[in-house]
Amino acid sequence: MLQFVLDTLLRTADLALVALGLSMVYGLARFPNVAHVQYALVGAYAAYAVQAMGGNLAAGVLLSCLATGALAVLLGMAVFDRLLRAGPAYAMIGSLAVSMLLIALVLGLAGSAPRSYPLAIAAPMALGRARIAPLQLAAIAASAAIVGLYALMLFRSRLGRALRAIASNRALASACGLNVAACTAATHFLSGMLAAFGGAMLAMNTGAHVNLGNDLLLPVFAAAVLGGLGNPLGAVFGALLIAATETAFTSVNVGWLWGEPVGFLPVGYIGAASFAILLLALVLRPHGLFDREVRRV
Amino acid sequence: MSEFLIHLATLAGIYALMSLGLSVQAGMSGLLNFGHIAFAGIGAYAAAIAAQAGWPAAAGIAAGMAGAALLGLAMARLGRQLGADYWGIATLALAEIVRLAATNEGWLTGGAQGISPVDSALAGLPGVWDSAGFLLCSAAGVAAGLCLARRIGGGRLGRALRLMREEPQLAACLGYDLTALKTRAMVLGACMTACGGALLAYYTRFVGPDYLTAAETFLIWTMVVLGGLGSHAGAVLGALLVQAIHAAVPFLRDALGAGSDVAGALRLGLVGLLLLACLLWRPQGLLPEKPGRVR
Amino acid sequence: MKILLSMEGVAKSFGGNHVLQGVDAAVREGEIVGLLGPNGSGKSTLLNLATGFARLDRGAIRMDGARIDALPTHRIIERGIARTFQLPSMPTRMSVLEVAMSASLSHHGFWATLLRPPAARAAEADARRRAGALLDELLLARVRDLPASALSGGQKKLLGIACALMRRPRLLMLDEPTAGVHPGLRGEIAAVLRRLRDEGMTLVVVEHDMAFVREVCTRCVVLDRGRVAADCRPDELAGHPRVLEAYLGQSAAAPHREAA
Repeated sequence: MLQFVLDTLLRTADLALVALGLSMVYGLARFPNVAHVQYALVGAYAAYAVQAMGGNLAAGVLLSCLATGALAVLLGMAVFDRLLRAGPAYAMIGSLAVSMLLIALVLGLAGSAPRSYPLAIAAPMALGRARIAPLQLAAIAASAAIVGLYALMLFRSRLGRALRAIASNRALASACGLNVAACTAATHFLSGMLAAFGGAMLAMNTGAHVNLGNDLLLPVFAAAVLGGLGNPLGAVFGALLIAATETAFTSVNVGWLWGEPVGFLPVGYIGAASFAILLLALVLRPHGLFDREVRRV
Repeated sequence: MSEFLIHLATLAGIYALMSLGLSVQAGMSGLLNFGHIAFAGIGAYAAAIAAQAGWPAAAGIAAGMAGAALLGLAMARLGRQLGADYWGIATLALAEIVRLAATNEGWLTGGAQGISPVDSALAGLPGVWDSAGFLLCSAAGVAAGLCLARRIGGGRLGRALRLMREEPQLAACLGYDLTALKTRAMVLGACMTACGGALLAYYTRFVGPDYLTAAETFLIWTMVVLGGLGSHAGAVLGALLVQAIHAAVPFLRDALGAGSDVAGALRLGLVGLLLLACLLWRPQGLLPEKPGRVR
Repeated sequence: MKILLSMEGVAKSFGGNHVLQGVDAAVREGEIVGLLGPNGSGKSTLLNLATGFARLDRGAIRMDGARIDALPTHRIIERGIARTFQLPSMPTRMSVLEVAMSASLSHHGFWATLLRPPAARAAEADARRRAGALLDELLLARVRDLPASALSGGQKKLLGIACALMRRPRLLMLDEPTAGVHPGLRGEIAAVLRRLRDEGMTLVVVEHDMAFVREVCTRCVVLDRGRVAADCRPDELAGHPRVLEAYLGQSAAAPHREAA
């Protein structure tokens, strides 16, 4: 049971930050930014690059977050804001183009072989009957801390209030004197940072590989949609739900369904489980479980 | 060299047929289908499975169209109230499920290895006849697809779809059943794309789950947007252009003396760059759609 | 005269905003009913409920005695209702003529469009002719090949009316046909409605312009704060205390109430 919880939390940590960033940007820009998961890709590789040049993990992650945040702001202002004027559909297609470019960049510079972070292999810790590597535990803790900080920012700081106001009614917020341009830039920066952090943590376990972003695409979107696009903390809950489903899918003994003592659902379909949940959610509750999705006016 | 050009033209034609399918759905009807490749994949797998069972090509293609039509129907009926971008995500998810099924159900689809070889009457022909035959089929497919799309587009159904694309409320007020319209567009596009997929399987004599990745859908989207969303001739032109870039990359790579990773990066990067440039500076595409002239 | 459309106890809220709180009204064949009331009184909402663009919370809406409030929009339209919008939005990549033609009654599907049998071709030609005639009548002949979104606000309203008329409706519901339209065009619209009235069509017109209402309508229903405040002839509006109260507030209405 504890192992199940730990595995779920680990997978949640993988997804939560990226989903949070995605939902955050949707609240502002009102289009599903397919390139967002590629920020995680870029972040993972950037952190690797820093470590390959001699830095440690923390430095790698920090620099990678800052760089990816800057990239996100640049792309947001130069590309997505412009495309949004033609409509959200064009912005979404534009994000496809940006995805392709980011993957091409990584592929061209780093090659298709996965890059593992130069981390010391530590023995897994034992918590009761469950096993978890110390770095994985650190990842879960770090993610939780960041989600907490984000919630604090969103609900207790001026920036957070401004962001919520703009997400709710952009024109009105602007008319009230809020600096929408600065807040937009801040949102892009934060979402880029969050995605990069998520990507780096993912790469800690699986190594940085070219499909890191693509593999995240549907689970992250599923999490964000479940929580209601534009409801960032809902996205974290969505990530938890998706993670729990995926973990349950492969670790719950369903042998009794066909009269065997031991039986598991095919691992290959693990993705299908979350996608099926996404489809169900979209059909039954299109505005997210909490119905707090930011509606396009 | 001529063999290479014939190969290029055949592939371009096959992808043009798939683009036409997306053009009908996204360009003409405004349906942001991001799971489009599933139709091609179903067509390809149906053709391969039929070939292995000894069926003639026509039966394989028909089976592919039927399967794709069913998926198209499911997509059209998915969530009546869903906004366009949510629906797009749902179609992406559906296509991924199809790909996972193709990867896992090895007894039917050969799993990750796929099915090979995919034989057909054409592939069995000697020498240059088999490539010429495929080129002819590919060209005929594009011609038929283009005629079909144009005829529908210029008629009553096309007007209804284009109205639904831009003003669904007005369309509903004029008595149109939007779900029925969506279904027609999805099924038509699905059948056309499945034909392209089947042709691809017969031509390359192979099918595998990599034919079904989201990246392939994005590639076809690029073709349609480059050519001009809403213009069927544009979709064909876009397909030709993207295929030309893909074909040029190996030469570029040799000129740069780079490895295969760089080739892959170039292929993806050039297409992405072209798409972005098009969106930023010529969003209406190379052959923009004009409001119809009623004859 | 037969009742065409009836509304019984219709109530609708949006969140905490109780827009309609129990509206009872009926539209008889051949009438031109003006639907009046200050802003926020629920006039457009009533139109939306009757045409399936919103679902009511309580009550019923019937056409020819049968309930229509739970039907999808296209099914309601099939029964002979047509409507226009207050702020019409028109496509950018279709010409005015195409939009009008797409309003025609025959909806042939895939095979008819592809194969074009004689029946379909005749229907197309007929649609083209009728659309052309309606556009001429509504002064849109000059712009028939322009993209529909290029029209002015007033012209878009006329196009909306043309589309509605293509449907040969039994009941036509117009949402503020003269709002934001310049005075010359306003006269045209009034003339069109008068002609329709003379031809026996039933109309419901949501309006603010009292002069227009007096010219065109046979009966007026005034909404105030979600309920029917008055249901009378246009000439009875001026002195009606509840109408004055609705528009001007209680104190202004008081002297009239005493006089009545």
